[in-house]
Amino acid sequence: MATDKELSDFLKSVEKRAFKRTVYAVRSEDSALDIVQDAMIKLSEKYADRPPAELPLLFQRILSNATMDWFRREKVRGAVMQNLSDFEGSDEDGDFDLLETLHALEDTLGTESAADAVSRAQILRAIEIEVAELPARQREAFLLRYLEEFDVAETAAVMGCSEGSVKTHCSRAVHALSKALRAKGITL
Amino acid sequence: MSRQDRTTEVQTIEHRLGARLAAALAEQAQALPHDLSERLRVARDGAVARAREVRQPAVATAGGHAVVSPARGAAALGGFVPWWHRAASVLPLVLLVLGFVMVERFATFEQVQAAAEIDSMLLADDLPPDAYSDPGFAEFLRSPPPSE
Repeated sequence: MATDKELSDFLKSVEKRAFKRTVYAVRSEDSALDIVQDAMIKLSEKYADRPPAELPLLFQRILSNATMDWFRREKVRGAVMQNLSDFEGSDEDGDFDLLETLHALEDTLGTESAADAVSRAQILRAIEIEVAELPARQREAFLLRYLEEFDVAETAAVMGCSEGSVKTHCSRAVHALSKALRAKGITL
Repeated sequence: MSRQDRTTEVQTIEHRLGARLAAALAEQAQALPHDLSERLRVARDGAVARAREVRQPAVATAGGHAVVSPARGAAALGGFVPWWHRAASVLPLVLLVLGFVMVERFATFEQVQAAAEIDSMLLADDLPPDAYSDPGFAEFLRSPPPSE
């Protein structure tokens, strides 16, 4: 059973990323705060007796469900269609720019002296915007896999899909981000 | 380079790029404005407090003393519970059973009283003339009175 301190430490370690992830989905800070708060309360009420090691997966699952519930409550058909659509653009461009994107990012963000603070902030902001523009399933897979550092199996468990789907979503998300950032002229 | 090697290389690049992008996002997440950080902290504290509330009843019933009494706290902690506190918790049940018994007795007494009253009224009432033409009543009149 997780103690109060373990639960608090866990929530503290994930709350900001969870908030950001939710903002990307619902595009409202107030709504995102409500959703994260609901997820925290549900975790505490129902799973406070679980070992600390189980909390990350449980919390992400609860957060995903809470976000879906928010969309259902909102009943804004347009928003749901936009955010929950599984129709994804074709990724026939291959990996032509991936390596270039990677090198550009590492050059720009990798060291403090490589870029001035303004351009760095702009790039970070651009990345956030493009992540928010990803299709919902791609974004969820990408954020769980890379931001939350879950492995493929864990990500599949949270998303309720196969590991193959997770790999496909992640690959498409990385390609889409690379392409979008390159189009914005971030030397990508 | 074989197709297999090429696929592996692409996956490696994808993973590195994904991790790098996520690092940038994590950096942004840590730089949340103060008011948002505070609201998240308040939400977290509320959740931890809720977890504490949820755990307490579970601990209280775990000792097998889930009786509503002033000694509940002591029972939950496994401490000594005076015998009169245990007896007091059974007292309402005893009173309830006694109440049922008394209500049953009273209802029976009421029924007997009502039947007796009806019999008395019938016996004390005037005999209707038709009764003398009834063979059963005539037989009753001929029969000897019951011995004392």
